[in-house]
Amino acid sequence: MEQFAPVKRSKDGQAVRYLIVDDSVFARKNLARMIETFGGQVAAEAGDGLTAISEFDRTHPDIVLMDITMPQMEGIEAAERIVQQHPEARIVMVPSVGYQENIVAALQRGARHFVQKPVKPEVLYEVIKYVLGEDGLVASAAGAGAGA
Amino acid sequence: MTQSPDERGLELRELFYETSQELLQALNDQALELEKQPGDEEIVRGIRRTVHTLKGDAAACGLRELSELAHQLEDALSVEGAAAHSAVAEIAFAIADAFVEMIAAYRRGGKLPSTKALSKRIQDLTAAPEAKKIRRGRKANAAATSKTAAAKSSAPKSPPLGTSAKPSSDWTEPERLAMTRAQSEGQDVVQVTVKMDPHCAMPIAGRQLVHNAISTMGPVIAVRPDVKSAAASKYVEFVLATMQTAEQIAAKCKIPTIVDEVTVELLLAPDPAAKKAEQIAEQPPVSDLPQASEAPSAEPVPPARTESPATQAIQENILRVEAGRIDNVLNLVGELIIGKSMLQQAISEFSRRYPKELLRGKFADAMTFQSRVLNDLQRSVMKIRMVPVDQLFRRFPRLVRDVARQCGREVELAVSGEDTDLDKGILDAIAEPLTHLVRNAVSHGIESADERRKAGKPPQGTVRLNAYHQGNHVILEVGDDGRGIDAPKIRAKALELGLTTPEDAARLTESDTLDFIFRPGFSTAEQVTEISGRGVGMDVVQSVLHRLKASINVETRSGEGTTFRLKLPLTLAIIRALLFWVEQRLYAIPLNAVVEIARTFESEVHQVDNYEVLQLRNQVLPLLRLGRPAPEQDRRAKLFVLVILVGERKYGLIVDALEGEEELVIKALDDQTFSTDLVSGASILGDGRVVLILNLPAVVEHVAQARPEEAGHAASGLLLSHTDRMRLAMTTGAGGQA
Repeated sequence: MEQFAPVKRSKDGQAVRYLIVDDSVFARKNLARMIETFGGQVAAEAGDGLTAISEFDRTHPDIVLMDITMPQMEGIEAAERIVQQHPEARIVMVPSVGYQENIVAALQRGARHFVQKPVKPEVLYEVIKYVLGEDGLVASAAGAGAGA
Repeated sequence: MTQSPDERGLELRELFYETSQELLQALNDQALELEKQPGDEEIVRGIRRTVHTLKGDAAACGLRELSELAHQLEDALSVEGAAAHSAVAEIAFAIADAFVEMIAAYRRGGKLPSTKALSKRIQDLTAAPEAKKIRRGRKANAAATSKTAAAKSSAPKSPPLGTSAKPSSDWTEPERLAMTRAQSEGQDVVQVTVKMDPHCAMPIAGRQLVHNAISTMGPVIAVRPDVKSAAASKYVEFVLATMQTAEQIAAKCKIPTIVDEVTVELLLAPDPAAKKAEQIAEQPPVSDLPQASEAPSAEPVPPARTESPATQAIQENILRVEAGRIDNVLNLVGELIIGKSMLQQAISEFSRRYPKELLRGKFADAMTFQSRVLNDLQRSVMKIRMVPVDQLFRRFPRLVRDVARQCGREVELAVSGEDTDLDKGILDAIAEPLTHLVRNAVSHGIESADERRKAGKPPQGTVRLNAYHQGNHVILEVGDDGRGIDAPKIRAKALELGLTTPEDAARLTESDTLDFIFRPGFSTAEQVTEISGRGVGMDVVQSVLHRLKASINVETRSGEGTTFRLKLPLTLAIIRALLFWVEQRLYAIPLNAVVEIARTFESEVHQVDNYEVLQLRNQVLPLLRLGRPAPEQDRRAKLFVLVILVGERKYGLIVDALEGEEELVIKALDDQTFSTDLVSGASILGDGRVVLILNLPAVVEHVAQARPEEAGHAASGLLLSHTDRMRLAMTTGAGGQA
């Protein structure tokens, strides 16, 4: 697999911290591996929307990767609730094919971006750079010249 | 990260195989629930969600066929009418089975099973006349929302105003007014034309994303094509009032994977001198329009009833580790324990040699400390291997359902104690015997509904699974409230098979009689069915349990039911054992099987029917003699009798001398090295001696099965032959010191 220049937080040069929300253990592990290749760090994982909210409050991650269909509370509602509490939250929806309306809804409710499953590392990488870099709160300052 | 794509793919697949097990289990559970509550929308949604996850996971590691099949069902369930179809549960079962087969085929790289028939059945779900081809909305009250969604897509109320092929500039009057007002307020009015990436699979969502990005820079005055149009278009135009520069806007809109190109044109330059501001002040900005149109679908989802938050939370903290690694650690702990006993022996010898040496105290303290830590270590490592029996129990609802169907019984399964922890190795080994017992309970134990009604029982039978701790053991119970086992029938069958003589049979107690069912080839089932009663049965159960040093007993009441009780050791690897000598050889038995140790004389041993018994206080104890009987004249010889508990019965084990108790690390003996099941393993002591660990249930059975007149010979056969011993010494690498 290709190499990715690590993406760090510009404010302190630390690893970007992620919250991965998906009811599939497989999907979570898959995303976690990708994130590690980007030099990121998994702050927490959650298998449903409710846990996602509490894990967000607990860990304050830089980026949330959020599935849509989940038990307890779906991704859209979780995203909406998180954004209501933390408008600065950067939530990237990770839906499967065929959930376009839901994505539109999530984006209207404050999600920052989406990456469709199956997730390709290079796509996720670009999206993360975009979501981090353009937001203005944290600029992506990759050590090896992977600026946004 | 220097993995090749291939390696990564393989690793991903492995991960999928592993994680899919849980999903398949969930699917089975959901199907069972649905069968109990047909048409329950919440459950159907659960099934759809599970299938959806499987679809996504499978697609991510390139298992196309599985993903497609899952996709079919997911789609079918999103069609209204199909979800309420009575066949959904059946199909869910079938698809779960198909997934299992497919995964197995992927795993060994074999040919995939055909899923045509299943696909057909899935299609039939949606072919029902009342099923409307409507995609369900993402939310609970699908009926209402999906209808509006359909209306939206089939007949848009406001058709697109501009054409999507080329940039347009026919703005509406309110839009023009908003533009000039923005201009008068000193803002740039720019037109942003975005060329969408043709590869983007979700162009509408992509457009929303661009819209979001643009609205961070100022109010969006107009959008072409119209936001309400569902059709995807190649170009999207936005008119924006902003203070940002063209470069900033372009950078912000250049969204990876979604936007191909961005062009920014200045429509109206700011006009600080403009006096028109008052004239257009009444015009409301139009930038909020898109948000308003989607608002109705925002109702919250009620939390699902089926999953408790607690179980969800537990899953998050689980670390998946290969079982082999833990076994390695456990082995090392075992070696440490041997090391400890080596040290202990060295120290006790040291103490004997230098009784006045002050260092002795220090050694003793260090030893005590080390043992304590070692104990904790051992316990912690063993805990890692422990898993809740639920992992096994949760397979049974499906099994009970299937078997009950095939035999036309009405059976309910009641499970309790599923949190009880058990060693993973043991759990895996008892899966088959337990399955057998559950099958038997359903097909032989429970009567037909008619029979039950006649007996004054509820028509639905109950099979109970229970687990609990008892001392150093875990007890698993499989019970039913069926007809019970017919002891006279067993006795008759035993006579017929020549397992007992008429005289003996008359004297057999009920529990003796029941033991016959564990003999090879013993089955009283009148007809051999596909599911149970194939002639191989309880003896297979018995042999697995022997290997595990576990025991089984039966409790039955005619007309009220039967309970099989499996007594399993907590762990297989390390036991506290009592060591003793028989004919100058060292043996060990698990300490927790020993009830008491008695001393007696050869003259106290009586013969009853050629069995040796001992009267100990007020009970008569059948004796097991491991060595050869003492010569006739030596009636005054002293004996040690270990009173042991095997199953629910006590026996006396005659030994020559006692050595002491010790923690033994069991080294498994493979079948090739060893020709007897009387020994369950061997262990090495601190001084390098090899000790054999007796398999008590097998020893008891061996003596009990021997014809009484042969008892003496049989008993001496208990000991290992010389060749066995030599082979053992070679395997354990302990030379001939044994």
